[in-house]
Amino acid sequence: MGEFLRRLRYLLFHRRFDRELENEMEFHREMAARQGRRNFGNTLRLREQSREAWGWTWIDRLLQDLRYAARILWHSPGFTITALFVLSLGIGVCVSGFTLLNVVALKLLPVRDPSSIVRLDRDAPEIHTSETPYLQFAFYRDHTKSLSAMFATMGAPGMELDQDLQPVSVDYLTANYYSELGAQPAVGRLFDSTRDASPDAPPVVVLNYLFWQRRFNADPGIVGRIIHLNKKPVTVIGVVSSATPSVEGADADVCLPMSKQPYFVEGSKALTDTSDGGAVRMWGRLATGVSAKAAEAELLTLTNELRKIYPKMIWDKQYIRSRPGGHLLMLQPEMYRVFTMIAALLLLIFIVACANLGSLMTARGVAREHEISIRIAIGAGRFRIFRQLFTESLLLAAIGAAGGLALSYAALRIASAYFGNVPPWISFAPDWRVVLFALVMTLTSAIVFGFLPALQIARQRQRKTAVRQVLIGAQIAASCILLIVSTLLVRAVHHVLYSDPGFGYEGVLSINPDLQSHGYTPVQARAYLTQLEDRLRALPGVTSVAESRIPLLGNGFTAYMTIDMDGHPVNVYPNWVDPVFFRTMEIPLLRGRNFQTGEKHVVIVSESLAKRQWPSKDALGQKFGDAKDLVIGIAGDARIKSLNDNDATEIYWAAQSENLPTMTVLVKASGPLDSLATQSKAIVESLDPKLFPYIWTLKSGFRDFTRILENCAIGVSLLGIIAALLSGVGIVGLVAYAISQRTKELAIRIALGAKPGHVLSVVLRQFMLPVAVGAILGGAATAAVSQVLRKVLFGVSNLDPFSYAGGIIVLIAIAIGAALLPARRALRVDPVRALHEE
Amino acid sequence: MPMPFMPKPDMPPGALTLLILRVLQSGSLHGYAIAQRIHLLSSEVLAVEEGSLYPALQKMLLKGWVTAEWGISETSRKVRFYRLTAAGRKQLQAEISNYDRVTEAIQAILRTA
Repeated sequence: MGEFLRRLRYLLFHRRFDRELENEMEFHREMAARQGRRNFGNTLRLREQSREAWGWTWIDRLLQDLRYAARILWHSPGFTITALFVLSLGIGVCVSGFTLLNVVALKLLPVRDPSSIVRLDRDAPEIHTSETPYLQFAFYRDHTKSLSAMFATMGAPGMELDQDLQPVSVDYLTANYYSELGAQPAVGRLFDSTRDASPDAPPVVVLNYLFWQRRFNADPGIVGRIIHLNKKPVTVIGVVSSATPSVEGADADVCLPMSKQPYFVEGSKALTDTSDGGAVRMWGRLATGVSAKAAEAELLTLTNELRKIYPKMIWDKQYIRSRPGGHLLMLQPEMYRVFTMIAALLLLIFIVACANLGSLMTARGVAREHEISIRIAIGAGRFRIFRQLFTESLLLAAIGAAGGLALSYAALRIASAYFGNVPPWISFAPDWRVVLFALVMTLTSAIVFGFLPALQIARQRQRKTAVRQVLIGAQIAASCILLIVSTLLVRAVHHVLYSDPGFGYEGVLSINPDLQSHGYTPVQARAYLTQLEDRLRALPGVTSVAESRIPLLGNGFTAYMTIDMDGHPVNVYPNWVDPVFFRTMEIPLLRGRNFQTGEKHVVIVSESLAKRQWPSKDALGQKFGDAKDLVIGIAGDARIKSLNDNDATEIYWAAQSENLPTMTVLVKASGPLDSLATQSKAIVESLDPKLFPYIWTLKSGFRDFTRILENCAIGVSLLGIIAALLSGVGIVGLVAYAISQRTKELAIRIALGAKPGHVLSVVLRQFMLPVAVGAILGGAATAAVSQVLRKVLFGVSNLDPFSYAGGIIVLIAIAIGAALLPARRALRVDPVRALHEE
Repeated sequence: MPMPFMPKPDMPPGALTLLILRVLQSGSLHGYAIAQRIHLLSSEVLAVEEGSLYPALQKMLLKGWVTAEWGISETSRKVRFYRLTAAGRKQLQAEISNYDRVTEAIQAILRTA
């Protein structure tokens, strides 16, 4: 330790120590001279040797190298600007991706003690759900000792606020939710366990900060005012501060105390239901010193106790699984694939940028041949030259990474302002993880683009083109993959938008009266639905009215089963419908017959399911599934619930009476749907004032869906364009270098009468092979991995030849354009001037 | 690249440190005097060059075996005097016994082989 401190002193006071050493050696010489001894050697060198003992010479060398590198870069601004542009873009894209991942999944939320929060899921070997019946949650909460507290949220359909047309989003929260997260109010107060936990407490509401600003102009006088949600009066008690995060992205416009749920949804059994239907998402806070495993064990014991009280509520072998809960989003294994795909696409950009810069570096090596050979001639070792060149790369990479950080921050700020729905507590400012990531990127990029060229130059092999050609090939291949994938996605979006999806969504209005939430029995539901449908059919322009258990193209759940067919898992989307459904949705019944209302033990399957399940037999008359239901009809493919899954199939049963409280009503009309929506809402509510129907047009649902796909395609296309742009910039630079190197040769050729085409081919020949090989490799690599894209490529094969050809042609066109831009200079070489130059 | 200090070919490696420690045992000396003393005491066989003396001294300073303090030379010049520290004395003992062991061993071989 003492030695290290002394060493440190040398570093800090190196000027003083150096002076002392100089003084001392001077004295030595004086004395020696007196004795008539001659001195040999260079004092400077001797001093340097002595200083080596301090162990800090590497810093001196590094500073020296850095100063030299900075000077070199400063004196070639064209190269430096190009390189920094390429690097900032390449690193910036990756940093943006990582920042998003960081914000979503790595960073702990700014809540009280986030690391002790666990998210609790309900699991059994066969079933997994993120929602738990309220009674079960309440039992755990009342009996657990390993968790110091438990809180829960419950989602709800949008509600009508006063007379607003646009419904507001709603979450029910347990009264301790805010205090457990340590949330603060912007104005007023938040829920409080002593005042708002009881079902008899007066109805109160807490507003979301952004919603408060948007809807109430940030009026602090809102506290204490009474507003109406679904026509129920409720007092505003406060607004959550803008710094309060929500767990798992639950960021509703208004939040209500969970105990008051029956007040807002009359007749609701959500808090008292003893069957196994999920209702709430639950979290716990680990008591001090208790591990998540210990808490799980205790919850398992409690689950087994609870089974004795409510046998229907608990699954066989049910247990509670905990996950770290202090993040915006908990990464689930099923998300890994998506993350890997995104990471792979971003990495491609990075590869393009590095390969690009690497080839520029080797080309530059040729231009610096003179300088390097002088340095070697005056005694610089190869290692010293290599180190100098690599320092240059590191300096470039570091500046590039700083640029990338700035670029990514700016881009994310602009994007979040553009999308406008990013909660104010989310910050994209780089934290230590992002900075560390950028540092790793700096080092990686410097090694990737700087190592090989530096080695090549230090060994004075810069005229060898092999490395450069590999690097060109690599960037072309990577850009090619990005361009093909983006073309595939653009084609898929185009296909979804402009091809027949197998069903008619224009002119269909969907009405979900949500009878179940209000405690309707099947008999009551039947009576209500019959009345409602009669009234709807009487409206002008209405051509048919149908019932579907699964809500289509809009809010609502999706259910599917996965059946193993010949070793391939096939997703089958079931629905329970009435006979009018097919006509209303314009789904053709290809063969067989339709259901009768409520008919049992019969199914209608989609054409693709029939083909896959009974490839060599006639599907009609076959028995389906464990229940041995008779196939009576074959319907056209209509992937309403899985527009982007080419492999999905559908199956329909006739709706049974127990399904009736969950039915959605579909109204097909020829006139404008806006007035129909208002009329329908009035009818639903006039038949039962308790109800607040959720009404949407299938067309808007379809647009919402395609918008996601469009955004996806736009994102990937952006990456593709960036990659192509980078490759283009790189090729411009390389060709320009190639020409400047060979000006004399070209001049001689021109003087001897070479034709322009020939001159161009001399310059460009070395680029043709790597570009061609890169494009082929890129195409092949895409084809090899494109299977993973199948689920997002609706109606387009993952091997769609048009997309492959399109991507490759666009890239080659860019490459040719980029090569010709500087190549024209070769044609304008003036032989006389060029040959006189030296 | 770090350049090790180069003792004269006839001085065994590591011997310089030992010699410096030994001549400093009797009192503090400046750099030139250390070189002179070694030269004289060895009956002018061993010559210590600046190129090996000062790197060795720097290393010993770093190890904490010697300390440097300002003093006035015989020519009335301000110069650094080196003095042995407690750690240096210990090191000297260790190096001497180590040296003795090695020379005895070498001698044994020379006698019997």
